[in-house]
Order: sequence, then C-alpha cells, then structure tokens
Amino acid sequence: MNQRPNEIKIESHGDIILLDIRGDVTAFSELSLNSAYNSAKESSPKKLLLKFEEAAYINSGGIAVLIQVLAQTKRNNQKIGITGLSDHFKKVFNMVGITKFATIYPTLQDALSAMSAMS
Amino acid sequence: MLDDQTVELNLPSKIGYERIAIGGLAAFAKSVGFSSSRIEDLKTSVAEACINAMQHGNKGKPDARVLVAISFQENTLRISVFDEGEGLKAQPKDPDIERIIENLDPPVGFGVFLMKRLMDEVEFNRTSNHRHEVRMMMKLTG
Repeated sequence: MNQRPNEIKIESHGDIILLDIRGDVTAFSELSLNSAYNSAKESSPKKLLLKFEEAAYINSGGIAVLIQVLAQTKRNNQKIGITGLSDHFKKVFNMVGITKFATIYPTLQDALSAMSAMS
Repeated sequence: MLDDQTVELNLPSKIGYERIAIGGLAAFAKSVGFSSSRIEDLKTSVAEACINAMQHGNKGKPDARVLVAISFQENTLRISVFDEGEGLKAQPKDPDIERIIENLDPPVGFGVFLMKRLMDEVEFNRTSNHRHEVRMMMKLTG
C-alpha cells in the first residue's frame, strides 16, 4: 500500500505562516513537511501554524517527523500552533509531550486570532 | 480451529497494511459496543504494534507476514499481533520529548509508549512456535 505524498499549502495570515497539511501524517511525510517548513522559513516567520485534516491518520512515524519540525522551530525561536486535530490526536499529542512545545487550538479561527495577538 | 468470536488477519509485512488491520478491528470493536473514543485508542495501539512487527520484528523481510488475531470474550477485547522476529531484548524507555527536541535522544519509542498508555494491558511474549507476540487487552466498560 502506498501513501500519497502530502499536499501542503503555505499561506500568510499577517505575521503567521500557515502550513495547511492534507493527508495522513506518517514517516513518509518527512520530505513534504520538511520541504514546506523550509519554504515557509524563507520569509523568516516568527509564528507558524500547522493545520491538519481532522480525519488524518497519524502514527508514531508522523509524530517523530513533527517533533523534528518542532525542534527546528525551537532553534529558530518561532512560536508554533497546531489545529485541525481530532479529539483522539489532541489526547495523543498531549501524551507524548508535543503540547510542551506547541499550543493546540480547537479551530483555525481560534488559532489565527490567538496567535495574531501574540507579540 | 478458530472459534466464532475470533477474527484473524494475515498481512504482508509492509508499512501501510496496518490500516487494513485497524479497519477490521474498528468494525469488530464497534459491533461489540465500544465507544468511538475507545475505538480510536484501539486503532492507534494496533497500528503501532503492526508497524513495530513489520519494521523491527520482521525487519523488512519481503516474505514475512504479520498476523493479527482479534477476539471478544467476557466483556474484553483481546488483540494479538505476531511477527517472525525475536522480540524486544529490553523494554524501550519512554520517549523524553525534551531530550529529543534537544537532539540528545533519537525520536523513537512512541509506538510502545502509546500502546501502554492507550490499552488496559500490553504484554510482549515469545511464543512456542518461534514467533513474537504483542498481546493487548481492553475491557468494555459502562
């Protein structure tokens, strides 16, 4: 079974760069997610928002890829938000500690308005 | 001979086929009354057990298989995931995200960690027919 590559749209919302990630998040997402992050980094954003599809399948390989992105955002002093997660993956992200490094927002609008207000 | 409350799925040892297992598991768990949130816990746990079986147990051998057995008895769902490997030499330590972020630890160990957190019980066994088994259990409550 092959996984289709993620389609990741990059959008600017004021001083926030949104990565709109379509598809499942697994070890196979490494290339597309790193590539999107590197493209986003070109504009030196201080705030990054990752939006997932609520029905996405996310496994430990995908979590490892995400943590590597979080490590880069920490090194680059970027604030990072996450939205679009199902209740299950909100719980999983909390269990593995992702919420120590990223804030999870219930909706895209919540994320944009909260992150816009950050200095 | 399998009884009428046991389902077996025999998967190629190739990442991605764990989704066949979790699709079947979700249908089974729903049919015996598990809530959608517990079914999500089951899906993540069994997907991780299958991925470990494929990557670490069968070590990518193209002709190896992963067997998933699911049964429900006495209000308890039991799932066993078998591979053809030796099993764990030692239980992996829980991943420490702060050390991973600082590049002090590799980003590994999430699969077993999630299985242990999401299921009621998880055991790792070596079977008499030279296979490794991850046995998981979840009680139907409420």
